[in-house]
Amino acid sequence: MNASNIAVLQREKARRRPGAGIGKAMTTPGQIVSLVVLVLPLLVALYMSFTDWTPTRGSLFQASFVGFDNYSDLLIYDTRFLQAVLRTLLISVICLALEFSFGLGLAVLFMREFRGKSLLFSAFLTPMMILPVVVGYIFWMLFQSNGPINQMLEFVFGAKAAVEWFRSAPFAVTAVIITEVWHWTPLFFLILLSGLNSIPENPVRAAVILGASPGQIFWRVVLPMLKPVIIVAFVIRSMEIIKLFDEVFMLTRGGPGSSTETISLYIYKLAFNDFQLAYGAAAAFLVLLGSLVLVHLMLAPVRDQLLDGGR
Amino acid sequence: MQRKPLTLVQTILMAMALMVVLFPIFWIVMTSIKPPTDWNASPAIWVPSKPTFVNFKTLFDPDAIREYGVGGVSQSATKAVLGSVLASVVSTCISVIIGLFSAIGISRYANGSKATPLIILSGRMFPPAAIAVPFVIMFSALNLIDSYSGLIAIYVAVTLPFSTWMLKSFVDDLPREVEEAAMLDGRSRIMAHLTVTIPLIKGGLFATSMFVFILNWSEFMFALVLSYSNISTIPVQLAKYVTATAGTLYGVQAALAVLAMLPLVIVGYFIQSHLARGMTFGAIKQ
Repeated sequence: MNASNIAVLQREKARRRPGAGIGKAMTTPGQIVSLVVLVLPLLVALYMSFTDWTPTRGSLFQASFVGFDNYSDLLIYDTRFLQAVLRTLLISVICLALEFSFGLGLAVLFMREFRGKSLLFSAFLTPMMILPVVVGYIFWMLFQSNGPINQMLEFVFGAKAAVEWFRSAPFAVTAVIITEVWHWTPLFFLILLSGLNSIPENPVRAAVILGASPGQIFWRVVLPMLKPVIIVAFVIRSMEIIKLFDEVFMLTRGGPGSSTETISLYIYKLAFNDFQLAYGAAAAFLVLLGSLVLVHLMLAPVRDQLLDGGR
Repeated sequence: MQRKPLTLVQTILMAMALMVVLFPIFWIVMTSIKPPTDWNASPAIWVPSKPTFVNFKTLFDPDAIREYGVGGVSQSATKAVLGSVLASVVSTCISVIIGLFSAIGISRYANGSKATPLIILSGRMFPPAAIAVPFVIMFSALNLIDSYSGLIAIYVAVTLPFSTWMLKSFVDDLPREVEEAAMLDGRSRIMAHLTVTIPLIKGGLFATSMFVFILNWSEFMFALVLSYSNISTIPVQLAKYVTATAGTLYGVQAALAVLAMLPLVIVGYFIQSHLARGMTFGAIKQ
């Protein structure tokens, strides 16, 4: 039986199910909104990416069609774009590794019993509730040359330890990473802790009876059972960090030079500072393609859990 | 698992982590109550000797802010605060109402194919800078640029996946039998949903609304590219202060930052047990 036959049968079945009409009516508004406000702009952007349109040249539909020129320019000649991609990947990998380690460590500490646990739990979640722009602004203040971070460095390592954080590329990137890790470690902590709490006790008890050491229990029993939760956390965070914009905008605006420019910041500058809208749209589709592949690879083992809402 | 108490080393680690987490928040709150002479002092002043609320007053006083105004920052934050409230509240209400119907529809009548959620997830991956481009073009044609209705339309669309999927996970938790019982009593399907389903998930409805509110209130890029002179939101205003007067407006900016984060932190504590569910599209429940 081919695919269209199956589709027809499924449609028949849906029609026969009681209340199918109501279900359709209920989901329609959401579908219309998504279609008009998300899919339509995407199609416009896709069309635009194959033209040489800029706002100074009149309407989009008068622009000439240039095929894949924008795409090949980006991939072959645009070192600033390629650097932004690599930089975003580098920042993402470092941030995710640090956020995961700190988050897991903290979550393991919370498996112990201590006083004031619920208060501390709330305190540790606070950073992720603060809006990214404000987080960026807070750390912009902290990293000022006469700010508290340099003050502490001088106090611990002597007067020469102060750093001009936003004047050199490696330090500026470090500042971005520190900001991002502070902001989003709580999300890993939250997700991993809820994973740890839902681990069944019997396998752990069995391991204890069989004489496993606490280390063995953690690495061989607990961690494998956490795997789906860990993947969900990584997927969710990668999807967000690949779009990293707000914090960098507030901290460095991509500077010094373009040394902290992320993909989103570069596309933003292309579109809204240089008005190279078509070129920016092409860059965005390359990024979309790349992140689709990445996320779907990561998602493969837990797709059903994520998409069915944990049923 | 048996719950053991913390060891000494673990207690110290925990205390250090707590300091790292709280220090930036401490710093922004302290800066917001520093008098102007303390704003940019070298070495930096940690706790102001004469705390004051003058920065918060300056923020809403156009004359006072003009005195500091360098490079065109003569705007008080009144419009930005009102704009943020308007855009976030209205778009949250619309997003949650549409999301609620979609959630019931998907959960109870399995509408939409397996691919729908994948498409939604893929939409989340698209760099917003690029979605903003066609929006600007379409909105200038429709005269929606620099208007709250345009901003609200985008916010609704962007948060709809979150409200739908989070609400769906709450509806999934509810056994179908409760609605079927109501229908046996002679109520129609729609009445059963309105009078049984929705009241039973009102906790989830509240959590979802608050979560979507956090997303809308935090949004920055769309507001940045779609606002010129008519509209403003708090994040945009904060960014404007930084560009125009880097280094001179510390205390006032900090006051605005505190005002921006305060409602989110309060709301966040209220719904903290549902945060994981919201962030993961309902995949992880607590």
